[in-house]
This record gives sequence, C-alpha cells and structure tokens, in this order.
Amino acid sequence: MTLYHFGNCVALVYVPYYLAYKQSGLSEYGAFWKCVQAGLIYMITQLAKMTILATFFPDNMSDLGTDFIGEFLKYTVDIADLVGLYLVLSSIPGKGHCKVLTAGIGWATAEVILSRVLLLWVGARGAEFDWVYLQKCLESNVLLVQHIASATLVWLWSRHDLNKNLKTIVTTLLILCCYKPLLLEYFVQILKLNAWLDLLVKGTFTLVYGLSTLTIYAGVAQVMGIF
Amino acid sequence: MWLDEVDEILKGYLPYYILVFLPIFMLSSVSASHELPVYRMQHYDLHGVPFGSRSAVVNLEARTISTWSSSRHCVVTRLTDLTLETFRNICAKAGALIIELPKNLSNFSGEEGQQLLTLEHKMYEQDTSIPIYFSQYDSTIDDIIKELATQSDSHNTKSSAAEALFSSISANGYQIVISAVGSTAVTEAKIATMHGHLAGYKPDGKIPTIAIVTHYDSFGVAPELSFGADANGSGIIIMLELIRLFSGLYSDPKTRGKYNIVFILAGGGKINFQGSKKWLEDQLDSSEGSLIQEAAFVLCLDTLAASDTIYMHVSKPPKEGSPASVFYRNLKLVGEKYSSVAVEGVHKKINLAEDILAWEHERYSIRRLSAFTLSTIKSHKDFWRSTILDTKDNLNVDRLVRNAKILVDVLGKFVYEVPDNGAFGGGWDVNPEYIKSWLNHLASQPRSPQLLVAKDNLILNTLLDDFNKYLTEVKVTYNVPEKRDPDYQFYGSTRGSLTIYSVKPAVFDLFLTLAITLYLVTVYFAITYIPNVYSVCCMLMKNQKMKSK
Repeated sequence: MTLYHFGNCVALVYVPYYLAYKQSGLSEYGAFWKCVQAGLIYMITQLAKMTILATFFPDNMSDLGTDFIGEFLKYTVDIADLVGLYLVLSSIPGKGHCKVLTAGIGWATAEVILSRVLLLWVGARGAEFDWVYLQKCLESNVLLVQHIASATLVWLWSRHDLNKNLKTIVTTLLILCCYKPLLLEYFVQILKLNAWLDLLVKGTFTLVYGLSTLTIYAGVAQVMGIF
Repeated sequence: MWLDEVDEILKGYLPYYILVFLPIFMLSSVSASHELPVYRMQHYDLHGVPFGSRSAVVNLEARTISTWSSSRHCVVTRLTDLTLETFRNICAKAGALIIELPKNLSNFSGEEGQQLLTLEHKMYEQDTSIPIYFSQYDSTIDDIIKELATQSDSHNTKSSAAEALFSSISANGYQIVISAVGSTAVTEAKIATMHGHLAGYKPDGKIPTIAIVTHYDSFGVAPELSFGADANGSGIIIMLELIRLFSGLYSDPKTRGKYNIVFILAGGGKINFQGSKKWLEDQLDSSEGSLIQEAAFVLCLDTLAASDTIYMHVSKPPKEGSPASVFYRNLKLVGEKYSSVAVEGVHKKINLAEDILAWEHERYSIRRLSAFTLSTIKSHKDFWRSTILDTKDNLNVDRLVRNAKILVDVLGKFVYEVPDNGAFGGGWDVNPEYIKSWLNHLASQPRSPQLLVAKDNLILNTLLDDFNKYLTEVKVTYNVPEKRDPDYQFYGSTRGSLTIYSVKPAVFDLFLTLAITLYLVTVYFAITYIPNVYSVCCMLMKNQKMKSK
C-alpha cells in the first residue's frame, strides 16, 4: 500500500501543475520545450546559487553575527532566482501572459521535479507514514502560485513603460518575494504554529501576494492593450 | 481531452524514465522513525536439548497483549504485565514478542520478585519457535504501548458504527522490524578455563593440595542482559581476594602454608559446568601427575551474597577427621563470631539419572574427590542463580565483604592451623575497595557463556592478568565441543536493532485518495475561475483610473 501512498502524493504534487499548464492554454502555443528551457535555466541558477553559498558563506552561520543576520544574508542570495527568471523571460519570445506563464510554470516545474521527486520516492514509499510528505506536496502547490507571481513581477519590473509608483510597488513586492521564507519562518517561530497552520499561513500569504500581482498586471495590461 | 494526452505522455516517456531511475530508487533506503537496541532471548542447545527462542527476524505489526490475534502480530508488552499463561499463549500463536523491562530492576522484592524470577525461568526452560526480544525501559516504546492500549479500549466501548469506522481510519499502526543477521550456530565455541597455584612448603612428607573452584559466567533470560553480579560475580571476587591475600603470605618463606592451593576459574558453569568437567578430565587423565590427585578437598564457590546463611553443600557427608569436616568445623567457629551469620550443611546425593548437575562440586565428587560447594543459596533450584535481576544494584556489597572475610578467615585457619583468631587482620585483610572495583568491572558487562567464547575477551583477559600477577604456572585450557553430537551449541545474534515505523491502515490511503481527488477538482475549478478574477481585477484598475482622471 505504500506505493499507493506514493501515487497519492505524486498526484497531489503534479496534477495542479498539469492543470495549470493545460488550462492556461500554453499547450496550444506549443510551449512545452520553452518550459523545459526555463527548467534548464532554473538548474543553472541553482548551481550558481550553491556555488556562491559554498564559496562565500562560512559553515557556521553564527560567524556572521546573530542568527538573523546570517539567515538574512543567505536569503539575499535568492535574488539570483530573480535574475534567473529575468533570463528566462528574456530568452522566451512571446507576448504578455503567455510569456509570463511559460516562465513561471517552467521554473516551478523544474523546482518541483528536482526537489520533490526524490524526497517522495524515498519518504512516502517507505513503510513509515508521516504527514510531512502530504504537507510538502501542498506546499509545492503554493509554490506554483508564488513562482508565477514572481515571474509576472520580474516581467513588469523589466518593462520601461511602467510608471514610477507602480515600479516602486513592484520592486517592494520582489524584495518581499526574496525574504518571504525568512519572514514566515520567524512568524511561525514566534507564534509556535504547527505544521498545518504554517502551511495555511504560507498559502494565505501567497494568495494575497498573487492577487495583488494579478491586479497590477491587469492594470498594466490594459494600458498596453494586451489581454 | 487532456486524459488522452496523459495517456500519450505515459506511452511516450514513462518506460524510458523508469528504466533509468527505477534501479537507483530501489536501492535508496527508507529512513526510520525510531531505533533502539534490543536483546534476544537465550538460544542454545545443551546435550542435544534445545532451549530458548529459535528465530531472530521480525517484520510484523505491533499489538498489545490484549489485542493480538494472529501470527501476523508482534506482541509488545511490559514485563510486569506478562503472566506465564499469556506468555505460553503468545509463544504458541503470535508472530513475535517484544518485552520491555521495568525502569529499575532493583525495585522488585519478595513476592513480586519471586514471580518475575519464576516467569523468567519458565521462559527459557522450553524452546519456542517465535523470536523473543527484551528491551530496556524506553519512553518511545512505553508511549507506543500506552497508545495501542487506549486504542483497544476505545474499540471495546465504541458506540456507533461511524465512530468505529473513523477510528479505524485515523488509527496509528506500528510496524516492528528487527533485521537480525540470522541465528546461525556458532562454530568453534571454545570455553576457557584458567588455573594456577600457590606452592606450599612442608619439611617432611608429601604436600597436600586444596583446590578452590569457581565459574566466571552468568546466566539470564537474555544473554546480553545477564550481568550476574551475585551469580557468580561474588564467587569470582572472593576467589580473587583469596588469591591476593594468600599469595602475599606464600611469597614469604616464613609464612608459607602447608598446603598447595590450586585456583581454578572455570567457564561454562551455567551450562552444566563444562569448564570444570573438561579441566578435571585433562588433569586426571594426563600422564604426568597432577596436584589435584592429592587434593585434601575441592572447595567450590557459588553465589555468596544472596543471604545471611552460608550453606555447605556436599554429596556425601565428610568423615569425622577428614579435611572437609575440619573445614566445616572451622567454618562454624568463624561463623559464630558474626551474630547475623548462620552456617548450615546441606546433603544432597548426586542424581546420576539427570543430565544436569546441581552444584559444581558434584563434577569433582563423581571423580571421587572430596568436594563441597559453599553458597548462600539453599537449593540448587533457586532461580537466583540465573536471572537478569541479578545486577550490581541488587547486590548487597556489605554482605559480600563480610562473607569474603569469613571465607578468608576459615581458609587461613585451616591452612595455618591457628587455634583462635585468624591469620589475617590489621593491614593484611579483605579490602572493601578492592572488592567494589572488581564488582564494578565484572558486573558492568554481560557474561553469558556465548558472549565469552570470542578470542581476547576483555573480562577474561583482566582475570588472567590477575592470575598471572599472583600465581605460578598459570595455564588456560579450552573446552572445544565435539563436531558430532556436541555437549553444548551456541547461536549467534544475541542482540538486534529494533526499528519502529508508524504506519496507517490501507483504508486510510483510500480515504486520502478521495480527499486528494476532491482537492484537485477544487483546484481545477479555481483555475478555470481565474479569467473571472482577472476581469474583476481589470474592473478594479479601470475604476481607479477613472477616479484618478
């Protein structure tokens, strides 16, 4: 029955990705290989990030001062993710939402394949039952929304015809995107939430984040005349 | 439809990936939730009769003593909850048994202690086919036992079918896995017996010999848990003390005694005194004369701190005037000096019909040597001689020191024939510190016979060092069982690693599928709803624009 449980988890992780890909109409554009391309860039970005972390960061984070500063600096490296997304966006021809969705979904899929498959195979297939695998699966779903939103924001940020006020908001949201895990981690630690509530907080936060991104995008798209 | 495309993907890509990744994934191990060491029950054959638990591998679902029902269940229970009846039932029908020992073994006294001793003895008296393991007190195991017990309680008091269904879905199950290497027979199980002597001096005539014998092994229901502080740690310690004190006197020509004293530290005392048997055969059958042939008597030491009475066990009452009766008289005399100590003689004939001898002196009595055993235990059937309860904490050290003192005095009186006060006193006497340090050393490691057959055993080496330090002509002889029809046969894997996985029932997975399907349907509708959200957002922005204009 454990292989069955593994199947459950896999369905929980990957079906939303598949649905997102199908329902957004990307399949009609034949964007599959572009998604793969985005995935490749994701891999290169992660490699670069790891190299930076391994080269410039000490083994012991407390050498950098308090825990918070160490963690803060570590998450600063996540700006590389945004650079990676920018690269993806610039290498994908296309217009508006198609481009953004391809980048977001490709990126998120690459992450979910690289970081979850092995975990699930080793963990969820074992004799031991643990809720953590289901939580990880749901978290991946949240991350899909997050990555699409990030891709949208990067795209908006890279546009020259964005007015100043909006640009400030977009930049703030992008920075927030980098440090989101850190903030949530501390939030959860302070309130001593359990894993499920932690997930709920993440989900809610990401939902709000995604909706605000969508609103900004809607405004800009109207101005530019793309739908 | 998208279903077709899924099908296409499956056909197109999947087999290829599976070929590459499946072997890699198969090799990856599964992380365990909880691991702890467990100790397997005794497993040995003696004179061809099998004893103990005959298998070692467990991979079964955990159940409590009240909920198990078939051989697919591994019963997990506390030792104090177990009765002989349930134990027999489990052995006959369950798949395996894990017994958690109480937190503190020294709390058992009187009736309760006797019950535990009886239960322990009955466990290994017969052979059982299921694997039986013991674990030290462990909070995780304790919690699991409690949880499983509450589950069974709620099963019984279930009010509605819906509740029962819900609890059967949400219940936690536990899978117990012990991957032992297999209980294979140990070949070349050599039992070491060491001996050495102090040479006496007499200006005229032949020098008689006294032999002092004790065995160094211990016994209990699980080999790795038999520390044997009293049986026979006390015997070893008193012998070492005798060696130390007498070697001091014998090293000076002026105080050398009139007897040769041979010290024999025999192995296999708990498996029908195999060490003594072999040693005696070697000595009596060898072509050169042996000291033991001129023995005045053979004194065996066994379990000397269990009570305040010292029993002298004989298989034939010694003749008046013989060295053994003189020794007994001396023992009485010295014993009278202590108000709390009683001395008693016990006469038990050797039962030749039985394979297992009662006391070690019977090995020597059979060969027509004058022999007796000193012990604080009255009956050879007393379970205290082989129990896991016999730990350092349960031993009365003061009693051990006092009995050591009595024995040293009695032997001193006999060897030097001093009429009144013993030969020892002042600075040259029993040293409690010395006794305590030996006790710590001996009782800190299990000494079950099968654990001591390995080469370079730490305990045997320290004992041998002590022999070499004080005695002359120290020799180690080995008892090797015959290839065909051996006297004793040990089996491997005395300990294992217990892994507990928490598992869910199969129904739970089905419900999970249902829940996930529902969730995915929701996600599907949420995604189809996004264009609507988008248009709402557009309206929002438009209104704002209008306002700002």
